[in-house]
Amino acid sequence: MSTEENVTLDKRLMLINFAKDPEPFIVVDTEKCNSCKTKPCLYICPAEVYTWQEKLNYNTEGCMETGACLIVCHKLGAAAITWKYPSGGKGVAFKSG
Amino acid sequence: MSLEGFEVAVVGAGPAGSAAALTLAKEGVQVLLVERGTFPGAKNVFGGRIYSYPLKKLLGESWKEAPIERFVRKEGITFMTDDSAFSIEYESRDPEGSFTAKRAKFDKWLAEKAEKAGASLITESRVDDLIIDGNRVKGIVAGQDKIPTNAVIACDGATTGLARKAGLVGMLEPYQISMGTKDVIELPSEVIEDRLGLDSEQGAAHVFVGSCSGGLRGGGFLYTNKDSIALGMVVGGEDVSSKQTQASSFMDRLRKHPKIKRLIKGGKTVEYDAHMIPEAGPKMLTRPYTNGMIVAGDAAGHLLNNGYTFRGVDIAIQSGIAAAQTVLEARKRQDYSENTLRGFQTKLRADPALKDMYTFNHVPAYLRKSRLYSIYPELVCAAAEAIYRVDGTGKKKIFKELRTQAKGRISIFSLVRDMIGGARTF
Repeated sequence: MSTEENVTLDKRLMLINFAKDPEPFIVVDTEKCNSCKTKPCLYICPAEVYTWQEKLNYNTEGCMETGACLIVCHKLGAAAITWKYPSGGKGVAFKSG
Repeated sequence: MSLEGFEVAVVGAGPAGSAAALTLAKEGVQVLLVERGTFPGAKNVFGGRIYSYPLKKLLGESWKEAPIERFVRKEGITFMTDDSAFSIEYESRDPEGSFTAKRAKFDKWLAEKAEKAGASLITESRVDDLIIDGNRVKGIVAGQDKIPTNAVIACDGATTGLARKAGLVGMLEPYQISMGTKDVIELPSEVIEDRLGLDSEQGAAHVFVGSCSGGLRGGGFLYTNKDSIALGMVVGGEDVSSKQTQASSFMDRLRKHPKIKRLIKGGKTVEYDAHMIPEAGPKMLTRPYTNGMIVAGDAAGHLLNNGYTFRGVDIAIQSGIAAAQTVLEARKRQDYSENTLRGFQTKLRADPALKDMYTFNHVPAYLRKSRLYSIYPELVCAAAEAIYRVDGTGKKKIFKELRTQAKGRISIFSLVRDMIGGARTF
């Protein structure tokens, strides 16, 4: 048996079902992020919802709903994230968990 | 479904919520169980193992209908460096003490048991708020619906949304959380059994400490399902953030270790999971009750990582049962104020399973010692290498060798202090 090729995060995220929530459930005041020195959201998020390209970008479609970004942003970062769960029935669904 | 006339609303159909709803429904209470996923379990993630005892208590003999993957018979721990591994393995006597499972199946099954007992389950419903009147919780708000109830049991998970709304907790600190990630890797059942040395249908649980977390607070875990291996990493919230290492990168670190590589070779990764783990214990909330509301399960910090056993589901179920019993007493007295609901606290401390949380309440602080994730695993492996290697350069007696290996890595003072601290903590 061969060893599986490198499993990248993109490949991992393709394995999970996401039902898009038309309502924004994460809103970031990205102005605040410009002066954020620590940017902890970039590291804590297991789905890398948050990326940095000259400014903070975020794509909630891969959000795994752990809620950790909110904590590190408010305690270590710029308190820029407003977070709630996606609407009922929307967002991530795991087959195994 | 009419949303009027419910006596109790239970928010979240995870193990705590379903156990609470089931306990209440059995006593004839009109209970509404609210879940935001498309089905109970759709949103829920864990490492992989459930201890059986609370299910026996909750369901009697029918607990064996649970969607069990494998009963765990082998317990193991590995201390690792990048190129070495020191493992200890134990074959346990208790044939049915714990089992591996998949939450998408298990939580669904448990919620069905609650429904069969008479609880009303609604799914795809996010509870946004509490109905608060003065200093009293009087129900829940889910979308357009305001649902008045005598009591609310909040089992809404690690993000503790409702406890925060009720003023029982502020925002957690990063050191009070960990981030867990997990790959589910499919392999034929015989391959799993051969590689882990298991009889047919038996399961294994294994923990990894050392280089896989790159010196950060945390470690790896492995659980065997029937046809898959659940392989995961847990890392400290403060460490991931401050060391600027992506939480998802630790899975690859673990998978690249030669010992792990062999175990998962030829496997197919079929799912990636993630979960935030509250690590503060029951003191996470100032109190797990207020007028008209009780908080149970992860939302109340009711789980236990004592360094060698990781207990979420069993403690959540016990916590849910205790919450429901408290509400039953309140119902009898027709008094849902905190005067009655503080009985929950007494139950938590008296319950033989739940009091483990208090027995090990110094563990979280101890586990923040960074030496546990760097120097100690390295030392264990270096000592084993020194003991087992024969290369003709001359051997020392074991104790002398241990002292040589420890020299320069850690002071005897720190070592002794950590050992005494450990003896008191664990």
